[in-house]
Amino acid sequence: MMKATSIAVLIALCGLQAGTAAGQALDARRLGMGGVLTSDVGDHAGSNIAFRAVPKGTGGSGSIPLPLGLIQYLSDHPSYDSKDSTFNIYEIANVILNPPLTIQLSKPSEVSGDISVYLAQDSLRVDLADVKRVIPKNSMMQGGVYHIGGIGKSFGKMFLQVGPLVHVKNALTLSDQLRDALRDAVPFTGNTRYGVTDEGRAQAAISFQAGYALRALHKASTQEGDSPDPRRNGSTALYLGAAPKYLLGIAYGDVHSTGGVTTGDTLFAGSNPVTLDMDTETRYAVVGGEGGTGTGFGSDVGAVLYYRNFELGVGLNDFGSQIKWSTTVRRHIYDNATNQFTTSVVARDEEFTSRIPVTTTVNVAKRIGRTTLAADIVDGELRTTMHAGAELWFGMFALRSGVYRDQNKMMQFAGGGGYRFGKIGVDLAIASNSRNIERERGAELSASLSLY
Amino acid sequence: MRRLIPIALLLPLLVGCGNRNLILTVDILSFMDPATRSVDYGPIPPGFPNDTIEVFSDSLNLLQGVGDVTRVASASLDIAASFDNTSGAATGDVLIYFAAADSATPFTTTPVADVPFQLLPGQITNVSTHIDASPALAEVLTHDRALVGLRLIFNGTSFPIQGTETLTKLTATVVMKKDL
Repeated sequence: MMKATSIAVLIALCGLQAGTAAGQALDARRLGMGGVLTSDVGDHAGSNIAFRAVPKGTGGSGSIPLPLGLIQYLSDHPSYDSKDSTFNIYEIANVILNPPLTIQLSKPSEVSGDISVYLAQDSLRVDLADVKRVIPKNSMMQGGVYHIGGIGKSFGKMFLQVGPLVHVKNALTLSDQLRDALRDAVPFTGNTRYGVTDEGRAQAAISFQAGYALRALHKASTQEGDSPDPRRNGSTALYLGAAPKYLLGIAYGDVHSTGGVTTGDTLFAGSNPVTLDMDTETRYAVVGGEGGTGTGFGSDVGAVLYYRNFELGVGLNDFGSQIKWSTTVRRHIYDNATNQFTTSVVARDEEFTSRIPVTTTVNVAKRIGRTTLAADIVDGELRTTMHAGAELWFGMFALRSGVYRDQNKMMQFAGGGGYRFGKIGVDLAIASNSRNIERERGAELSASLSLY
Repeated sequence: MRRLIPIALLLPLLVGCGNRNLILTVDILSFMDPATRSVDYGPIPPGFPNDTIEVFSDSLNLLQGVGDVTRVASASLDIAASFDNTSGAATGDVLIYFAAADSATPFTTTPVADVPFQLLPGQITNVSTHIDASPALAEVLTHDRALVGLRLIFNGTSFPIQGTETLTKLTATVVMKKDL
C-alpha cells in the first residue's frame, strides 16, 4: 500500500509540474523563426479568427510534422520499471513535457545525487541536493485552455465547427518555511507551520460555434494586380472575424485546499509531536451526476490590418466565455484531535458561473521583398510569451532565426532553414527551450514539411 | 508515532526519483532521556574482578514509513563515551545493543558495538569508535521504534572502582536506496 501510495504521489508531484511545458512547436518553419506567429506562419491553432478571411499567400498554408524524435526515443528511452536501478521519475516527467517528436540535442543534467537528512530530537535538516532544482521559487502553476480536435465546415465566409474545450488550472504553493526547508536546506524549527496551499479548477465543455470572417476595408495598391496577397502587394486591408459559441458543459470541479504541519516546542518530543491541519472545499457538477450539464456562451473575435506590407493582428479567443452550473459544494476538514476527516455539504444545486479565460494574441509582421520580420505576444491565464523572428528566402532556400521568451521567463534562441520543392517544402529548425522539470535550457531539432 | 514526521515521509519518495541514496543521520543520543546518558558506577569492591552494569535500556521513536519504501544499503554507528574514574583501575568494554521494539530487552541480541576502555584512578578517559556495516542496526533503524541498550563490563585491577560514565555521542548513519 505504501509503495502504491508512493508511486502515486511521485507521479502527482512530477506531473503537477508538467505545466511548465507550454506547447511543443512541431512546425519547423515556425520554430526556426522563434515560434513566432503570423497569418501565414504557425496559425494552425486559430489564434486569430480574422486570419480565415485573408487570402492564402506565398508564405505557406500549413505544415506536416516529421516526428524524427521517435527514432531517438526508441533507441534511448528512460526505464519505466520502478525496480530498475536507472528508474528516474524526473526523466519520465521530461518525456511527458517533451513528447519525443523532436530530436533532443542537449538535455539538462539529470536530477541525481544523494539526499541527506540529519535528525535529532530537536533538529531536522533536509538537503535534497539536486532535487532542489525541481522545487520552484514561486507557486507551481499548471494548466491552460485546450481546444482539442473537433470538426468544422466552411461555407464561403461563414463556418461551423464543433469541438471539445478543456480548461485546467492548478496552483500549488508551498509556505515560505516549507520552501526554505526543501529548497535551501534550512533546518526545520519548533513552533512553526509548514504548509501547502492548492487551488485547482478543471472544466470541460463541447463548443458549438458559428463564425464569419470578412474583409471589412480595402484600398487597392498598384501591385494588387500581380498578387492578391495583402501581405505583400502593398494594399490596405482590414479583416474582421467573429465566432460566437454555445458551450455545453460536461463537467466542472474546483478545489481550494490548505494543509500543513505545525511543529511543537521540540520537533520530535512525545508520540504526536506535530499538529496536522487540512481544510478543503470542493465544488463540482457533472453530466449524469450531481448538478448535470452546464450551459454557457462565449466567442472568438479577431482583426488583422495590412498596410504597405505591414501586418497587425489582434485575436481574442474565448472572449467573454462562461458557463453556468448547478453545483454541489462540500467541505472536508481534518481534526487533529480525533485524527478524522469530517465532510459536510455546504450547498446543493448552488448556481455558479465559471469563466473560460481569454487568450489574447497580438502579432506584427513586415514583409520586405522575400524577407519576413515578425513578432508576437500571446497572453493567457497563466503565462505571457513573446516571440520574434525573421525569414529570408534565397531562391528556393530559406534561412530563419528567432528568439522567444518562454513560459519560464527565459530567453530562448532558434534558427533553421528550409528548401521548397514546388508546393511542398522541407524545413529543419534548432531551438532551445526550458520544457523540462528542471526548468533549464535544452535544445531540440525539429523537422516538418510545409505546404505552399 | 503514526504522525511523527509527515514531512519526512516525502523523503523516500524523493529518493525514488532517480538512482540515488537517502543518507539518514540520526542523533540517537538526543532522543534519549538525559538522565540515562550518564551513570555512576561502583564502588566495585575487591573480590569482584568482573562486573557488568546495564546502564540503560530505552525505546526510540524513529522514522515511520521509511522502511516501507526503501532498503538499507549500509549503516554505520559513531559512539563516544567519557569515564570520570574517581578511584580504582580497570579495563573493560562498552557494549551497545539494538533490538526491535517488540523485544523484551535489547540485551538478548548481539551487541552492535564493543568499545574497549582502560580506566586509571583520578583520570578522565574518553573512548570512541566508528562501526561500519551493521545489518542489525540497519534493520532496526528503518522501523518506527527500536530498543537501545548500553552495558559496561569491568575487569578490575585496582579497587574500589568508582566513577561516572557519560555517553557523549551516539549517531547512526543509514544509507538507503529506493524500493518502490
